[in-house]
Parts: sequence; structure tokens; C-alpha cells
Amino acid sequence: MPASVIAKIHIIFWLLLFSSAVQSESFQVSSAHINKIGNGYILNAGIKYPLTPRVLEAIDNGVPIIFSQQLELIKSTPLLGSYWQWTETLWTTDIRHEIRYHALSQQYILHAIDTNTQRNFPTLRVALQALGQIADLNLPPEHFEDTENLILKLRSGIDLYALPTPMRPGALISSKWQLTSPWVEAQWD
Amino acid sequence: MGLSLLKRLRTGVTPYALLGISLLALAYLLSAATQDSSRLNDLFLLIFGLGIVILAILIAILSRSLYKLYRDFKSKKEGARLTLRLVSLFALLILVSTTIVYSFSLHFLHRGINSWFDVKVEQALNDSLELSRTAFGIRMRTLLRQTRMMTGLLSELPERDLNHNIRELTQLSGAIELSLWSMDGQLITTSFENPDLIIPSRPNEAIFHQLEQQEDYIGLDPDHDKLQLRAAVRLPIKKASQEERFLQVIFPVNAHLSSLGKTVQNAYTDYKELSYLRKPLITIFTLTLSLILLLTLLASIWFAIWISRRIVQPLQELAAGTQAVASGNYNTKLRSASGHDEIGFLVRSFNQMTQRLTQARHATQNSHRQLEQQTNYLSTVLGSLSSGVITIDTQHHLRTANIASSKILHINLQQKLESAIEKLGEHHEHIHPLTHLIEHHLNQDGNWQQQVELQHKKGLQTLMCKGTILPNNAGWVIVFDDVTTLLQAQRNAAWGEVAKRLAHEIKNPLTPIQLSADRLQHKYLPLLPEEQTHTLTKLTNTIISQVEAMKEMVNDFSDYARNPGLQCQPQAIGELIREVLALYQSNASHKFTLISAPEEMILNLDSTRIRQVLHNLFKNAIEASEEAQLAVDITLSYQQLSIDEQQWLEISLSDHGPGIPDDMVNTLFEPYATNKTKGTGLGLAIVKKIIEEHHGDVWAENTEPTGACIIIRLPIEEATP
Repeated sequence: MPASVIAKIHIIFWLLLFSSAVQSESFQVSSAHINKIGNGYILNAGIKYPLTPRVLEAIDNGVPIIFSQQLELIKSTPLLGSYWQWTETLWTTDIRHEIRYHALSQQYILHAIDTNTQRNFPTLRVALQALGQIADLNLPPEHFEDTENLILKLRSGIDLYALPTPMRPGALISSKWQLTSPWVEAQWD
Repeated sequence: MGLSLLKRLRTGVTPYALLGISLLALAYLLSAATQDSSRLNDLFLLIFGLGIVILAILIAILSRSLYKLYRDFKSKKEGARLTLRLVSLFALLILVSTTIVYSFSLHFLHRGINSWFDVKVEQALNDSLELSRTAFGIRMRTLLRQTRMMTGLLSELPERDLNHNIRELTQLSGAIELSLWSMDGQLITTSFENPDLIIPSRPNEAIFHQLEQQEDYIGLDPDHDKLQLRAAVRLPIKKASQEERFLQVIFPVNAHLSSLGKTVQNAYTDYKELSYLRKPLITIFTLTLSLILLLTLLASIWFAIWISRRIVQPLQELAAGTQAVASGNYNTKLRSASGHDEIGFLVRSFNQMTQRLTQARHATQNSHRQLEQQTNYLSTVLGSLSSGVITIDTQHHLRTANIASSKILHINLQQKLESAIEKLGEHHEHIHPLTHLIEHHLNQDGNWQQQVELQHKKGLQTLMCKGTILPNNAGWVIVFDDVTTLLQAQRNAAWGEVAKRLAHEIKNPLTPIQLSADRLQHKYLPLLPEEQTHTLTKLTNTIISQVEAMKEMVNDFSDYARNPGLQCQPQAIGELIREVLALYQSNASHKFTLISAPEEMILNLDSTRIRQVLHNLFKNAIEASEEAQLAVDITLSYQQLSIDEQQWLEISLSDHGPGIPDDMVNTLFEPYATNKTKGTGLGLAIVKKIIEEHHGDVWAENTEPTGACIIIRLPIEEATP
């Protein structure tokens, strides 16, 4: 079963059960801009990661946390003006980073899972700042030949299914772990 | 088909088997989902939710079952008490055992997980981490000093020699990488130990920030699986116009030390993570255990209810069957229990018992039916008998009486059943002689036979009674016959024979006697002296008149004796009566009153003989009054009567004469029953004979204050064609 389907089932199930749960402050895409560089397009975005004490506690106790940055490129064709659009998802990607605390060096390691590169930071705040900066991300040129009605959306959250098993049920039903940002449309510059 | 499948799944053992399998599957899934390596752990919440849903369904089903049980108990349904007792017992057993197991499991779970952690181990890990840090700290301080020295050297060198000297310094210091950066993040020059590398590791913002604070940086820098040391030191500014720069040096860490450091790091992190996860781990295991325990508990109680009902059901059926048998339904048959246990044996025995009871009942019913048939047969026979048959029990109470007995005694004996014989005699005076006779014989042993006479308003009634003791001294049966008519007939026959002989033997010599006397008178009267003629005349006249009287008597006898047969034809009775009455009305001193019926009645009768009847009655009444020297005042009435659905003509003739003497009331209609000076005494006997020939009835009653009344009843329907 795909993780997304499982996630949807879980979200529906637990939303029904805990719909009254108070939501904490979630992650927020503060800025997202698409810039044209030569023939290609790049994305620059800034994401704020206000972590809850529960997440901070987990990181300080050596639990690795996976952050997911999801991007979706959508072709939206209006059929009835602004009332109804025909949307087609052209491209999606999920950039995943892991943050963990290295006790010996007292550093926070930001590990880009896709590129298998890592950076070390003496404080978590700095590490989150670095994580929240998407700079000069190349967008697939094959979808940018016609940029009319093209929408790039992004959001970020914690992959709760990557948490250790005992923590997962608690995290899935706790609002303190539901920090995924809403989808934000990138601006064309 | 779908419905039948659903129905099959809802009944019998199937739902319990399905539930059991579901619970086992759920327990397996929950167990698998709590294991870290399982692919199912992503579905833990879903499986747990499923468990909660099953739990809710189970609670609902159990509540329904318990409510049903409570309702059955309240309504005192058969077997409900026993079921409740069994369920309570099972539930108590399950609760106690599961609570013990649950407590111990929880205890062992907590202890098991807590045993992974130890204060000493934690302290040792902290100490080893601290030791590692200290070890690396010594090395870092040395390297920082070395880097400072390098920056001092580089700050002295002209710009053009920097590249060359950095390469030399790299080789001399044993560093992996040396790079010179401006404070605004621009790379000025770099050198690598490994010539394949070209891009230096960029210091992060924190290092920049620290350097801006005029603080040198030295730190352990984990790089994937290995450790390295990063030092960043600002270059001293010799000239005010000189650009602010810093040198970043990355030193390798000894492989052994790196390996040791990594081991310490991993051990510490794993322990800390595990320690952190202890609480959620215990929570998850406790929740899983509690869920499985609750499911097992509820399912067990549900199963306990089911098994209790299953155990009690045959007993319940047995109780219902016993009640049915007690209320007389012997056809009750229980569903045969499939088991070979004691309950099955009990059910089979019960069925055998009811089968035998049914057979016995059928036999009894057959006997009863035969008895009823016999009784009906006997009743019919007794009912059709002309003899009266009554039975009397040992308490001298009337038990049975046939129809003929009621007719003979003129009492409805069917309504007097269970009455004492003595009381019957007291209440009905006319049967007192009979009851007295019966009472008399009941007090003596043995069968008896005796004639008894009852006084009835129509005259004496003679009964021939015979008493027989019933078998087993159950009472007596009394059979009696009304022999009045028979005796009357016998007397009539005797009188008829006498009359016939008289007529035959006496009538023949009478005429010669009369003629001889007449000739004597004619022949010897002239021959006798005057004084003797009177005597002769007187004697012959006496002979002649007496012979004449004898002739009349003989004629009367002849009339009585002859039986010419009736010549019936329709006749208006009123007309007939008036014709006869007209013959007597010529005498002014005689008073006659005729009370006619409102409507004329036509009867089929022999008018000549009925005329004779009327003549005899009138003559009798007139003679009776005249002899007593009383005024002749005769009232004649006729009317239609309905008695026992039979239409009758009743003619009554009453006078104001002296009445009938008591000793003659019963023999009035018998030949020679007369107190008159004149007459043959056959008038009323002939009346009775003619009336009886018309199937009628005649009797006499005295009227108040004086006088007598003769009542004739003739059947109308029989006579009317």
C-alpha cells in the first residue's frame, strides 16, 4: 500500500476521532519565487520551521526527524472561468532531509537524503534556517516550455511514518506533531 | 441465496467461530504491528482502530445478550435463572483469571522494559561521551594552536605567495583541507591533501557568526561515517585597508579514535533514544495488551452466555416439556439431543416416557370411548325400554333413571338425580308407596320382586317392581312396569268372557220363559177365581218384567262383550254433543249447561259409539242425581288441549250429585262397579272401553263442594285424517 494512501486513511480516521484537537503553529512557506535563468527556471523559497517542544525533545534525545519538502507542478486549464479548472499534475518531487543531534560533536547534522550530503550546525536553529532555504533549485525544463497556466505549489512537513515505531501512533494522533504547512503557490518573477 | 448465507452466518456456531478467528487475526496483526521491523507497523493505528471498532461491536452484542438475559430473568422464563447463574459463574471465572494474567503481564512488561535501562549504564555512557569529548578537546586545542600559528604565518606573507604556502602548509600540517575565506563568504584560495578534490567544505553560518564575534572556531565535524576536526581562525590584520579573512583547516581524526568515537556516539544515541522511547513503548504495549485482553474478556463472556444457553436449552425444553406433560399434553416430544452426555440421555428418556404416556393415554381414551359407547348403548336400550329402570347407590340416592321411569311415575326423574329416595317420596306423595317399598327392601339383602299400587289422579296405578343388587355392592337397580293396563285388560277379557257366556247361556231361555209366562197369564187367567187372578197377573207380570230386565242386562253384557271394530269418519264434535244433548233437554226439571270450544273441531271417530258414550254419561249423571234426590244440573264442556306436544279433545261432564264414594273412585270404570239401585253396572265400563278403542283416556274426579266430574280425552291428530 502506498504511503500516501495510508497517510490519507490515517488522516481521515484520526481527524474524525480528534477533530476537536487544538492545532499548534504549523510550518510555513514564507516565500516562494520562480526565476528564469537563461533558458531554465529555478525556485527560491523560504520555509519557517517553528518546532514544538515535543519535536525538540525528540531531536535532543537522539531521534532523527525527517523533513519533507513537497513540490507539485500543476497545469490548470480554466473551463468555466475561475469557477472550474481542469488540473493536471505534471511533476511532483519530495525533497527529504534528516536532522539529528550528534552528541559527541554536539552538532546538529542536516542530511540531504536524496543527495546523501550533510551539513553540520552547532545549533538547531541554524540547522532549521539552512533547511528552510531552498536556493536555486532547478526545475525540470521539459515542463516549462509553456508557462501559461502553470502552477508550482510547495509545502513542508515532518514524515511521521519515519519516526520510530513506538512514537508513531502518538505522533499521528497528536496535534503537536501535525506541523505540515499548507500548500503555497510559488510566485513568478 | 445471499440472505440464506447471511442467516446461516448469524446463527449457530458460525458467528462465534468467525469472531474467534477475527480476534486471533487481530491479535496477530497487533502483535506484528508493534514490532519495529514489521511492515505492518505503519498500519498500527488502523489495526488498533479496527480493534476498537470490534470492541464496540462486541460491547453492543454483549449488552444486547445481557439485556436479553436480564429480561428473561425478570419475566421468569424457564431456564433464565440457571443461565444467569452459569453466566455469572463463567464471567467471574474469566474476570478473575484474566485480571490475574493481565496484572502479571503488565507487571512483567513494565519490568521487562525498565530492565533495559540502568542508572549505571547511563552514567557510564555519559562518562564515556564526556571522556571522548575531553580526548577530542585536547586534540582540538592543539590543532587550534597549530591553526593560529598558520594564520600568523599566512598573515605575514604577500598575496601572491598565499597559494603556494597554503599547499605547503597542507602538506606540513597533515590537514585534509586548508581554505582561506573572506569574512563575507568568498573563497580566496584552497588546498587539499587529496588532489582529486576541488571544492572546499563551506563553513556554516554559525562559524561565520562566531568569527565575527572575534572568536576562533574549533569543532568536531562528523562527516558521514567518519570524524574530522574543523578549525577556523581569523587572520590578523596588519593594515587597516586589508580585507578580513579567516583560515579554515580540516584535520583528519585518527582512524582508531574515529572508530571509538563513533562507537561511543552510536551507543549513547541509541541508549538515549531508547530511553526516550520507553514511555511510548510501554504505552503502546499496554494499550495493545489491554485491547486484546478486553476483546478476549468480552468475547469470553459472550461465549459464556452462548455456552450457558446451549447447556440450559435442553434443560429448558425439558422443563417446558415436563410442564406440558403436567398440564396433560402427553404428545410433547423434545428435539433429540445430539450429544451422548447425561443431558442427551435425559432428553431421550423423557421422549420415551412421553411416548409411553401417549400410548397409555390412547389406550385409556379407547377404553373410555368404548365405555362411553357401552353407556350410550345401555342408555339407548334403557331409554327405549317401556319399563322404568332406576339405579340407587349405597347412600340411597337416585343415580340414574331412564325416560320410561319418568313417564310411568309422572315425575321428571332426570332432574331429581342425586336426590335421596326418601325425600323423593316426601315431595311426591303419589309415589310414596313405591319409595317406601324401595327403602324397605334396600335395608334388606337379596333381590326382590313386589307389586305396588300408586294413587294417581286418573286412578290406581299398579306397578310391578323388581330390585336387584348391583355387582360389588355398588347399589341397586330397580325395574318397574306399569301393569295397570295389563291388569285392566285381563279383567276386561275376563268380564268379556263372562258377558259372552251370560249372553249365550241366559239369553236363549229368556224368550221361552217370557212367552211361557205370557201364555200362562192368557191361558190360566180366565180359569182362576177372581180373587186369585190378581196374584197370577202379579206373578206373571213379575216374571215378564224380570225377564225383560234380564234381557236388558244380557243385551248390555252383549254390548260389552262384542267387539265390532270402529267405523271412524270425520265428525264435528260440537255438533255431535249438541245432538245428544237435545234428546235430554225435553225434561224441564233438568238443567244442562254446554260450554263450547271457541272453534269447531273435526275428529275422526265412530260417531255411533261416541253417542253411546255420551248417552251413558248423561244417563249415569241424571240417575245419580235423581237417586240422591238432588236437582239435575249437568255441565258439559269440551275444549282443545295441548299436552306434551299432543293435541287432545277434552270433554268433561260434571254434575252436582252426591259424588263418587271414595272406595269406588279406583274401580268406577270396572264392570259392576255401581252403587245405584238401577242399572247393570256396565255403563261406565262400556264408556271406558269405547274411549280406549279411540286411544283416549277417561277418569273420574269428585268436585267441590259436591258432585262428580267425568273427563274424557281423545287424541286429535291421530283421529284427524
